[in-house]
Amino acid sequence: MTFDIYLIFDSIPKMLAGIGMTLHLLFLSSFLGLILGIIILLMRISGRWYLSFPTFAYIYFFRGTPILVQIFVIYHGLPQFEAIRDSVFWPILREPFGCAILALTLNSGAYVSEILRGGYLGVDKGLHEAGKALGLSTPHRFIYVTTPIAVRLAIPAYSNDFISMLKATSLASTITLLEMTGVARTIVAQTFAPYEIFIAAAIIYLVMTWFLQRGFGLFEKRMSRYIKLSEA
Amino acid sequence: MNESDQKPIIILEDVCKFFGDFQALRNINLQVKKGERVVVCGPSGSGKSTMIRCINRLEEHDSGKIFVDGRELTSAVKDIDAVRREVGMVFQSFNLFPHLTAINNLMLALKLVRKTKKSEAREIAMRFLERVHIPEQADKYPSQLSGGQQQRVAIARALCMNPEVMLFDEPTSALDPEMISEVLDVMTDLANEGMTMIVITHEMGFARNVADNIVFMDCGQIVEMKPTDEFFENPESERTKLFLEQIL
Amino acid sequence: MSDLIAWSDDYFWGAMVVLKIFAVSLVMAVAFGLIGATAKLSKSSIANKIASAYTIVFRGVPELLVILIFYYGSAITLTSIGRVFYPQTQFIDIAPFWAGAFAIALIVGSYATETFRGAFLGVDPGIVEAARALGLSNLHTFFYVRVPQMWRLALPSFGNHMLSLMKDTALISIIGLEEIVYVAEMATAVTLKPFTMYMIVALIYLSITTVITLVMMALEKHSNRHLEGAL
Ligand SMILES: Nc1ncnc2c1ncn2[C@@H]1O[C@H](COP(=O)(O)OP(=O)(O)OP(=O)(O)O)[C@@H](O)[C@H]1O
Ligand SMILES: [Mg+2]
Repeated sequence: MTFDIYLIFDSIPKMLAGIGMTLHLLFLSSFLGLILGIIILLMRISGRWYLSFPTFAYIYFFRGTPILVQIFVIYHGLPQFEAIRDSVFWPILREPFGCAILALTLNSGAYVSEILRGGYLGVDKGLHEAGKALGLSTPHRFIYVTTPIAVRLAIPAYSNDFISMLKATSLASTITLLEMTGVARTIVAQTFAPYEIFIAAAIIYLVMTWFLQRGFGLFEKRMSRYIKLSEA
Repeated sequence: MNESDQKPIIILEDVCKFFGDFQALRNINLQVKKGERVVVCGPSGSGKSTMIRCINRLEEHDSGKIFVDGRELTSAVKDIDAVRREVGMVFQSFNLFPHLTAINNLMLALKLVRKTKKSEAREIAMRFLERVHIPEQADKYPSQLSGGQQQRVAIARALCMNPEVMLFDEPTSALDPEMISEVLDVMTDLANEGMTMIVITHEMGFARNVADNIVFMDCGQIVEMKPTDEFFENPESERTKLFLEQIL
Repeated sequence: MSDLIAWSDDYFWGAMVVLKIFAVSLVMAVAFGLIGATAKLSKSSIANKIASAYTIVFRGVPELLVILIFYYGSAITLTSIGRVFYPQTQFIDIAPFWAGAFAIALIVGSYATETFRGAFLGVDPGIVEAARALGLSNLHTFFYVRVPQMWRLALPSFGNHMLSLMKDTALISIIGLEEIVYVAEMATAVTLKPFTMYMIVALIYLSITTVITLVMMALEKHSNRHLEGAL
């Protein structure tokens, strides 16, 4: 066996062709997942059972099953129903890209709503009371007092989840999408040099992870000015 | 004093409060007149906090009636907001908003509740920070202030809403000894200006100086309520005597 | 319905494969986690660096890619080794079961490394000192004082690691392991009911993760029993 280190460097530029798709999947589904997560959270804390109950079922299902299976249920499974093939969503659900986005979004929404909920639960009860005692209305307390604090508390967990999402995008390769892992798999099929190619892909993922971590680290630092300053 | 000064601004009639099966307040009757300063004391768990938290409805009472400035506390949201605007509260643990600077802590409710314009809110806030002697800390975050400074910001935050009544729940018991007096001084000033105050505290020196009446609570009941001098000189009940012995 | 009955045997055996690979890789993951945590806590800077590299790499690379590297990588390595001895060797490949189990154990082990390290550091040194002061030996202190405390601290995260591990087993179907995702693929080809077939897979996973969650909750309750009523 020969381990061709040059092949690694040669293949990196080819792999970068898939990076666009990876980032597209990552950012679009994270963005949609964030919105979904917020909606789910609001439903969950609404105090109305007919709103909160479905969120339990949703979170339970998506956290309890592998993403790969979710992707397969959506991509392979949904066309089983004629109603879906006839619906307006068909143009999206027919495409692997649409299915990947849908699966990743649903998955991310479940996790994000839990992460945000953790943030809200972490906010000191005394601050709610102080807000009430000042006569702030419930929406005002939610927007101006709880949310800024909850968001800061949620950043580390959110950052981990974002990186999990980056890794999850690789599963899109199983439904024919040519994101990074998909591109790597095609090159391996041609060259049969799995070590070199897959390791090259792994390096790119590591670099991306590193950038994301730094980005979130800076963001957290910014959001925690009010704590960090006191330590300095 | 004229007629309106004699009218009680806070009235509690037979107020009871349960936490599950546990009765935290038993038939509380209390009247506080405008300009009156009341100190509430009693052993831990006696229901002091619960009682004053019922007055601005951080806790809901289960039976009896509570009136604040002639308005009965019911579950109607409108009334609660109106009452909370007139009642300021200071907590043992300060409860400053950690993500806002001192001055923004003061300005938040001015802007949102009083609908004051930003520039005006800033002016008002600054005035109240001066009143508690820390205008120079206006742009610091709570975590950068000492405990005594934080509690003074909290007092200023409640005051700048221009409340009729101020409630204090052990405002100095989370403070290091050397910071207690700076907070008590601010409270004494406030009392001298004629603010209506209900203060839970174990600082008996402050109580003697400032209070008109002292309420002693035990096991969810008001055991004794007397003018200050009388309370210290000849307490009636055995429980009060015992408590005073321990604390003095 | 008749389709389900027809395929129930296959799903059952597929589920057994899932449980088997879960058990095998769980044991390995705990071992990797303990080794990793020991290395991170050790005074040797080489061990520290290796352990850090291990956690960074396995937490930053997609699980699927790790599995692919192990599977194809081991195949090509074994084939070339084989050719040294028997030049006519065509292709040796390692069973997807072992390549997959090893890969997901390494991944989850990298998360467990951090958990175990945190749990070790989280034990109040005063308690350990107290045990030593009472005359307990090092070994006794470790097993009767430190380990029970660590266990309690590590349990919540460790429960999450077990869930990840369970869900990661699905990925091994990609390299051809005949577990339930693979069964669904076969069943779909015959019955043309992909939704039903993949949904069954989802529900099987859901029941297993539910059991894991319930067990972890019971364990946590048990390990925190001394705190009951204290808060
Ligand atoms: N939210 C609650 N749920 C259940 N019980 C409560 C709650 N709040 C207070 N209690 C109980 O009600 C009783 C009175 O509590 P309260 O806080 O009013 O006492 P306190 O006189 O202020 O005591 P302290 O001096 O310790 O502050 C206590 O026995 C307490 O355990
Ligand atoms: Mg209290």
